[in-house]
Amino acid sequence: MRHAAAGPRPWTFYVFASFFALFVLFLYGPMTVIYILSFQGPTGGLTFPMTGFSLRWFHALVAAERVGDIGGSFSRSIVLAVIVAVLTVVLSVTAGLGFRRRFPGSGVVFYLAIASLIMPGLFVGLGIAVGFQLLGLDIDWYTSALGAQLTWTLPYGLLIMFAVLGRFNRAYEEAATDLGATPWQRLREVVLPILLPGIIGVALFGFTLSYDEFPRTVLTAGTRNTLPLEVWAMTTNVTSPALFAVGTVTTIVSFIAIGVALISIAVIQRRRTRSSGEPI
Amino acid sequence: MPAGTRNGEIRIVGVTKRFGDMAAVRDLTLTIPDKAYCCLLGPSGCGKTTILRMIAGHESPTTGEIRIGGEPVVGLSPVQRGTAMMFQSYALFPHRSVLDNVAFSLKLRGASKAERHRQARELLAKVRMERFADRLPAQLSGGQQQRVALARALITNPRVLLLDEPLSALDEYLRLRMRGELRRVQKELGITFIHVTHTQLEAIAVADLVVVMAQGAIEQAASAQEIFTAPRTAYVARFMGGQNVLSGTVERVADGHAIVVDEHGVSFSTAANGEEPVRGSRLVGSIRRDRISVSKAQGCATASGKVNSLLGEVHAIEYQGSYVKLTIERPSGEGFVANIIDEDFFRDPLDIGDSVLARWSARDVLILEGAADAGEASMDEAGGVLI
Repeated sequence: MRHAAAGPRPWTFYVFASFFALFVLFLYGPMTVIYILSFQGPTGGLTFPMTGFSLRWFHALVAAERVGDIGGSFSRSIVLAVIVAVLTVVLSVTAGLGFRRRFPGSGVVFYLAIASLIMPGLFVGLGIAVGFQLLGLDIDWYTSALGAQLTWTLPYGLLIMFAVLGRFNRAYEEAATDLGATPWQRLREVVLPILLPGIIGVALFGFTLSYDEFPRTVLTAGTRNTLPLEVWAMTTNVTSPALFAVGTVTTIVSFIAIGVALISIAVIQRRRTRSSGEPI
Repeated sequence: MPAGTRNGEIRIVGVTKRFGDMAAVRDLTLTIPDKAYCCLLGPSGCGKTTILRMIAGHESPTTGEIRIGGEPVVGLSPVQRGTAMMFQSYALFPHRSVLDNVAFSLKLRGASKAERHRQARELLAKVRMERFADRLPAQLSGGQQQRVALARALITNPRVLLLDEPLSALDEYLRLRMRGELRRVQKELGITFIHVTHTQLEAIAVADLVVVMAQGAIEQAASAQEIFTAPRTAYVARFMGGQNVLSGTVERVADGHAIVVDEHGVSFSTAANGEEPVRGSRLVGSIRRDRISVSKAQGCATASGKVNSLLGEVHAIEYQGSYVKLTIERPSGEGFVANIIDEDFFRDPLDIGDSVLARWSARDVLILEGAADAGEASMDEAGGVLI
């Protein structure tokens, strides 16, 4: 898209364009290599050249061929990500609604909640693990690791809700009250439906942050790994392209999650703006 | 349902509303008769919206009492009050169709789908929006959204409808049309309307009762005609436009007329009805812009100092169709405006820079209450005067 009075590009354009090209190369280059190599021929190795094209390494994931507990860690990760997403949505939406009214100490509470975004995740996880040990509790993926991941996803969820609620016109709530809605009806019939696209965004963040969380989870998951921990273990002891196949599969899962979320937001937005019902 | 009576008379007694240290409304007392169309008029920040929201039940007074149809309503919900509010942004629910927006209140009360849609369609027909029943609010123009908002508010069958700047989001053409329509609907339904606005013309065009407000208090509450032709204070005179405000010291009292002279030697006289003005006291008066005659000054010396006249230079000439608005620069620097009927003006047209003599009659001078400079500052923010 050129501007009407298009003169020569300023030199800064070339600097930033080159930078962006590098960015794209660094981000997508290695990933693309991994996706391609995951289809390596049956006799091939971890690097090029491709000795053929096969689904052998995907098959290796399912048939537990000394590549670790991919199936188990994958299902644990999915279940954990769903639990984290649900808890993040419930807690950040209620907290976000609560923070709209300034209360004594609301600033302090807010900064306490947000501070975990800048705390080093590895030490948060370490602290939680030590804490569980002190209390004589077993660490496990659905207890200590769940808590550790929530220290990461909840502040994000809260910040997203602030952005979402910042654009929410309180007149909607007053109009509902004016028309006779009880507080509960107001929430269910007006507030939540209007906020729904933002809430889906919070859920998506909760899901994806949990799904590939490593630093907080590594010391809190106990003996049963989540997927990122399993993949990390594999990099040290698996020397076949099965490792790449894991990368391809997990990427596909992430894209599915994002796709579902974006499509549902788009559908909601479209229902609110496009012509629905009879043509006029 | 509004309890018992359908009486939409509103009594506000000694109401104060504070937000922190700031008093938005100060000890305000006002009665709005049943079935009246009342406009709360004032510049932004004068407390008019706060009053509306207190009547609606979206704010509670810090002190004081509000009665609707005789019943105290502070603490009651909007539905219990029998009020309905139309919001400035309309606040139509974006995820519901026009029909479901209007039917929303009935849905909350558990009406069957068929029944609530029937009633909603009836109201949509009343505001001529039945064709758009299946659309979403985002697919409507501003004027159409406003009609839907009106129908949605009316479905609760209120005895009082509260309108917060209902026309401010519309363009000029729609604003004129919709204000006529609001008045028509109000007459048809026979309920009390309270309409908040900062536009003088809007208020006097529709209202039975105009309440001019400044800084959380009422300056004057009266019929539109009275507000316009007989402002009580210098603030109202300036805010409504249509008047020139003069002030000065009472120099002498003769034949029941007080002669008032300002610091630039401009003098005016007025019938001293009621209590006799004291010599040396300050007096503020106003003269209607359309009761002033202007002629070319011939020989400044002769005219200068005459009572009920003023010498100055023409500063601006604005043709307004049926009259010409002539702004004369006074010695004090303040503008003095004369509205001259077009025929009279064009018989002997004036030009900018001409020296002119403006004259008026003592019986067109009104004595005002309050400080002479009241409202001078607020004129700019209120968007100037209207005529």
